[in-house]
Amino acid sequence: MKQRALVTGGSAGLGKALCKALIEQGFEVTSIDRNAPEANAHITFLPCDLADRQSVDALLNRLGEKPPFDIVIFNAGISATGKFEEISPQAHMRVIRINAEAPMVLTAGLMASGKIAQGGHIAFVSSLSHFTGYPGAASYAASKDALAIYANSIRKIFYKRHRIKVTTAFPGPLKTDHAARHAPEGTSADKRMEANAAAALILADIFKGKPKALPGTSARLFAILGKIAPKPMTLAMRKIIYEKLDKTVAD
Amino acid sequence: MRRRILITGGTSGIGLELANDLSKRHDVMVTGSRPRQDIAEPLSQNLIYVQASQTDPESATQIIAEALLKAGWTRLDNVVLNAGVGHAATDGLDEIDKIRASLDVNLLSTILIARALFPWLQKTHGTLTIIGSVTHNGQGLFPAYAASKGALHGFARALRSEWAGRVSVQILHPGPTHTGMHAKAGHDPGRIAALFLKPSAMARMIEQAMKSKRSPMRLSWAKFIVGGSILGRRL
Repeated sequence: MKQRALVTGGSAGLGKALCKALIEQGFEVTSIDRNAPEANAHITFLPCDLADRQSVDALLNRLGEKPPFDIVIFNAGISATGKFEEISPQAHMRVIRINAEAPMVLTAGLMASGKIAQGGHIAFVSSLSHFTGYPGAASYAASKDALAIYANSIRKIFYKRHRIKVTTAFPGPLKTDHAARHAPEGTSADKRMEANAAAALILADIFKGKPKALPGTSARLFAILGKIAPKPMTLAMRKIIYEKLDKTVAD
Repeated sequence: MRRRILITGGTSGIGLELANDLSKRHDVMVTGSRPRQDIAEPLSQNLIYVQASQTDPESATQIIAEALLKAGWTRLDNVVLNAGVGHAATDGLDEIDKIRASLDVNLLSTILIARALFPWLQKTHGTLTIIGSVTHNGQGLFPAYAASKGALHGFARALRSEWAGRVSVQILHPGPTHTGMHAKAGHDPGRIAALFLKPSAMARMIEQAMKSKRSPMRLSWAKFIVGGSILGRRL
């Protein structure tokens, strides 16, 4: 029987790259997104707005009818960038619901109904901002930290009870439409990593059962610097990003 | 200087101690989820009480803003976002409605209230104090609670940088304290509870941390035994 994967946000960016790589490795993929993915015989698409609690509950019911998944990747995420107080409350709420609440609710719901196979993998796509502050995206930083800490909290007990390995991925800026929308005006995309390359590195770490996936040398270096010197790194983020932001962008 | 202070979750535990103590010298408004007549705890008569349940973050934010205007408060020197709930999980699995409640009360309400109160705080170059937890790096007994507190850590770190020079933002991580929280969360800490700090001692450490404006700060036994609740300046 073919192995089964579940990916949220599989229609674009890193999620699309993850789906592609999983299919190449022989997986049948179920993708959850607001927008349909490019047609592919190995992708089953389930539409869902992860910010909407009733939709998430309905999604859990639908997933409950399916056989268990061998790997589940919570990748879907949105951002809200700009001056914190100028971003609308609704935008902050969507960030928290989609990025943090939905993955936690889906994890608990899928586990309670036995829909993640024993010995399987759960991965959360957090952000490299976990290792520094992220002025200019305070609610986004909060949502990504929630994921990293949720993963830390469940990792030991999930392995002990179910032999399920929990990985947190911390990608830096990628060459995706999403990153381009949220970067300050005039920022070059040259230094950002290709989504396909990041997906390959992240998947390799997930299958090795690593607790952390830091795709690429610069991501690793950034994480180390953030650990050693969190305050200067936050100041650097402020100079590189916050002071150049001239607009607010949500979604 | 007499300060104007808002404290959320000020009707029990650490928030209550802090509010009662600060109201001796300052003007204090506290929020809680219950109607005033249902609060059996000894709430000082000097306090202004506002019922604003954070299970609905948008409505809580609106109620607080309206209460400030009604009281004629146009500035705030200190805001302590302290209200929080926790729930014990079984084998790392939180109940779904408890995940949502933890995030609404602890995280989303904090984000929306902080955002709404910015104009009040900016007028005084005031201090926004966010109450985290020593579980902010992860805790298998309360995964959703720990996640919400870890999120507050990152939120405060970003906002402290954004608002630098305008409003001081700090996050404080209290260790285990003798409040009703563990019982409400459905968790029996067992004999380790003998090591929990008194709410009054924790409130004093928080007060001194507010005065210092430092961030992040871990407020637990290690700080207490070196005199953390008696040394240092009070607010």
